[in-house]
Amino acid sequence: MNRAVMKKTMYFFVLPALIFYLLFWIIPILKLFQYSVTDYNGYVQSFNYIGFDNFKTLAHEEILGVSIKNTLLYTFISVILGNIIALALAFLLNANIRAKGLYRSAFYIPTLFSAIVVGFIWSYIYMPDEGLIASLLNKLGITGIDTNFLGSYDKSLYSIIAVDIWKNIGTSTIIFLAGLQTVPHDLIEAGKIDGAGRWNLVRYIKIPLLATSVTINVTLSVINGLKAFDYSYIMTNGGPGTSTNTLIFAIYKMAFTEQLFGKASALGIISFAIIIVITAAFVLTLNRKEVSA
Amino acid sequence: MNSWKKKVAGITLASLAVASLSACGSNNNNSGEGASGSPAASPSASASASASASASTDTSKPVTLTMLVSGSKAASGEDFELDTLPKLVKEKFPNVSLEVQKLPDDQYYTAVKAKLASGEGPDYFLVFPKLANMGAIEVAKAGYAADLSDLSFWDNFSQSAKNDMSYEGKTYAVSKGMDILGAYYNKDLFAEAGITEIPKDWPSFLAAADKLKAAGITPITMGDKDPWVIQFGMYQLAANSVYPSDPEFDTKLQTGETHFSDAGWIKTINQYKELYDKGYVSKNSLGMASAQAMQQFVDGKAAMIFTGTWDLPGVTAKGAADFERGFFSLPGNDAGQPVYASASTAAGYAINAKSKNLDVAKQVFEYMFDGQSPLFQAWAASNTSIPVYTGLKPNNDMFNDVLADIQSTGHAYYFSNQMWPAGVSDVMQTKFSEIIGGKKTTAEDVAKAMQAKYDELNK
Amino acid sequence: MTGTASRARSAFTHLLIILIAFVNLAPLLIVVSSSLRSPSNMTNPLNWFNEFTFESFRSAFNRMHFPTALLNSVILTGVSVIFVVLLAAMAAYPMARIRSKTSKFLYLFFLSGLVVPGQMVLIPIIQMIKDLGIPMNQYTPILMFITCSLPFSTFLYTGFIRSSVPEEMEEAAHLDGAGLFRRFWIIVFPLILPVTVSVVITQGVWIWNDYFFNMVFITKALESPIPVAMLGFLGDQQNPAQWNVLFAACILCVLPLLFAFLFLQKYFIGGLTVGSVKG
Repeated sequence: MNRAVMKKTMYFFVLPALIFYLLFWIIPILKLFQYSVTDYNGYVQSFNYIGFDNFKTLAHEEILGVSIKNTLLYTFISVILGNIIALALAFLLNANIRAKGLYRSAFYIPTLFSAIVVGFIWSYIYMPDEGLIASLLNKLGITGIDTNFLGSYDKSLYSIIAVDIWKNIGTSTIIFLAGLQTVPHDLIEAGKIDGAGRWNLVRYIKIPLLATSVTINVTLSVINGLKAFDYSYIMTNGGPGTSTNTLIFAIYKMAFTEQLFGKASALGIISFAIIIVITAAFVLTLNRKEVSA
Repeated sequence: MNSWKKKVAGITLASLAVASLSACGSNNNNSGEGASGSPAASPSASASASASASASTDTSKPVTLTMLVSGSKAASGEDFELDTLPKLVKEKFPNVSLEVQKLPDDQYYTAVKAKLASGEGPDYFLVFPKLANMGAIEVAKAGYAADLSDLSFWDNFSQSAKNDMSYEGKTYAVSKGMDILGAYYNKDLFAEAGITEIPKDWPSFLAAADKLKAAGITPITMGDKDPWVIQFGMYQLAANSVYPSDPEFDTKLQTGETHFSDAGWIKTINQYKELYDKGYVSKNSLGMASAQAMQQFVDGKAAMIFTGTWDLPGVTAKGAADFERGFFSLPGNDAGQPVYASASTAAGYAINAKSKNLDVAKQVFEYMFDGQSPLFQAWAASNTSIPVYTGLKPNNDMFNDVLADIQSTGHAYYFSNQMWPAGVSDVMQTKFSEIIGGKKTTAEDVAKAMQAKYDELNK
Repeated sequence: MTGTASRARSAFTHLLIILIAFVNLAPLLIVVSSSLRSPSNMTNPLNWFNEFTFESFRSAFNRMHFPTALLNSVILTGVSVIFVVLLAAMAAYPMARIRSKTSKFLYLFFLSGLVVPGQMVLIPIIQMIKDLGIPMNQYTPILMFITCSLPFSTFLYTGFIRSSVPEEMEEAAHLDGAGLFRRFWIIVFPLILPVTVSVVITQGVWIWNDYFFNMVFITKALESPIPVAMLGFLGDQQNPAQWNVLFAACILCVLPLLFAFLFLQKYFIGGLTVGSVKG
């Protein structure tokens, strides 16, 4: 590289962004570490240092295990199902048909909605007895299905995961679609001449070339899942009981309802560690796959 | 909206009775005087006096006051806090602009705490009585609320409304009045099921619910997806099963003398559990938001809903069915015992101790609570709580029976969470939801979890 | 022969897609149909489009102070996005051009911010804002919108500059005597327009829809952007039966973005993919 052209002075360009980022993101995050060993209530400006008590309390409270379990389940299902559906849709939309743009938009529209709007709409859809699904089943004469989607311990978490998938599927589909469209035409033709079947074309040519889009989509949905908060907050209040308590929701409740900001910071740091480890593991694995593919 | 936290704490039985007596009693005796303005004349005079005293420095420069409150906007017409209040303040104090933001309860707590903690709190904010979340004691201790003891209108408020907003002898917020928890009921459906009189004890309440159920009517609808509504039934039962035998139960909790696992609370939780076990509460209540439960009630699909006086607008909203509504205290008492109501001082406005315009903010209060100004009239007219201000009558007749009973017997206790650190009631809701959801959780488990959280938070 | 077969297959594909799209959009159709009824019309929502009135819309429109909220949203989003584009593009430039440990560290440092949720750090952030003496008002959320947008935006810009802006062009400009600053603005910035579109759209959508930061900072009802105005409908027991008004409010909330999407569809779709496929 030409040293004279790409000089170190370039780093000045990073400064404005870096200042914002440090002041309003990194330093506040570091402060969480400080608060995590205090009894700060987030409210009265005096607090004591209490060592690792917050972590110890958390360690034998139910809420830690429950919220980690819920968060991991949320992430796992939304990543797997979300991406499989999006990939299938992308293949379907990649077919040589008319009005492709129109269809694509139809799937993209929900991604434009605010979480609040999505929460309102789906609260209605899920309403027991009178909601959209319940009345539809009723009209079709199907009875005996429990329509208490948000109010049952076995269903509520899956119900809000479905909402999350519904909202985000448009983005993933479009990213996959773009990936598919970068697959060179002659490669497919070559494969066909070699006598590769439909499935083999998909398996050996299309999927490997989709690696970048897979990485992007999976990474984004992993992060999205681990940060899950909105629908627990808007649709279920974390309930019934603690069945839709995600990590971030639990932190929020702890900080603002129980006013245990110190303890909430401690849980925040645990969540932070979990998120970092999982995300890093995913990114590293996917990157390796991508290279070898 | 979920003014569930607009509740009170430690009003003792006596002071509550006196409060309501003085509030409503005086309105019978002195109504003429009140109208002519003589009791109110002196405070308002001093208010304007103090206003004009500082006017030389104040009116010249424009002042902006901010206000953050919780609740939902009026469905139609003017909203008192968002529209009427700033307008009337501007009329009286042309240099004062009042900026108001109204958020739903949960969002309110988050926003107001974050703002106060950062020293950027609003000039006015809503405070709840005693120890509750955003309770008067807590905001006073933290130094966020200004001492309002020197304002001139206190003689017109009931003693308990003042006491419940006080800490160490100083008063920090002006309560809107008194709130009562109860069961709103559909008179037509009660008649249809052959219930001729309002149940007066627990066995007769269960019998009534049974009649309704037998007649194919859902006895009770609750929106348990918003878990705080669990408090609405629970505190009414606690008023009968916990406090009559030990009025100091919550004070003794602080010293460890009593526990949630004592007989009183176990009984309370088991009573409420019974309603669910016997199928008296709508089947899918955990999947229903409180607004949806309210809709079922106004549509005539369920005979009762437990909530408080503040929900009157929702309960009386027009639904699919036309019917007459009534209100009674959920009787958790054994046969032969009197019914105790669940009643508490309502939330009220406080002034930020760090406000840059503390004097102006106080002057606005003097004007607002002077007993005669247009602003006072508008405040009184928009109030959903039972007023505790000399000369004011409740805005609705529906509560007359319950109110009269409280006044004549003094049989009422506060909403329990007013004496608990915020967070204990959440645990109660969370664990009780398990019972509603058909898990094997017992009343003992609920009590145990509440005690554990109490011990953690009570420092 | 093959013609009919492929036509049949294409018809089948169409049918399949339409079916899935219908299921996907059914909730929205219900919302549209219900919002077009009067607030008191409480018939089953499955009876589609049985009434056409703008009564519910009028009610929602007034309660939300829609024009004011819309204006507030436009200002908040517009200003934030402009700053995001400027700051992120500038920051990405050296990260893409310099190959050193520092550069790589900065890249990952910014990217790692993506995994932290805002709810967690709210209180320390507010303390910081106070310590810096920044007043809290309608425009304070902009600071957070810019900050929270930086991780993803710098990621997109860095990837794009690395892959799609040839260094040779800059070298030529350098020989012509252009300074760093000019090189960036005259050569690099115009060339990264596609990814700028991508940043504007991805970040613009979340900023437009955010309720969390707005709810905490804004002190006056009339300064609220649309999502905060929508919050007023949350758990509204005063008006339990007004689903139709709520749905009308949802539509009003979505409409501006929907219009933007319809007119700028190409950019929305393109913007999403430019960043992701090449990044």
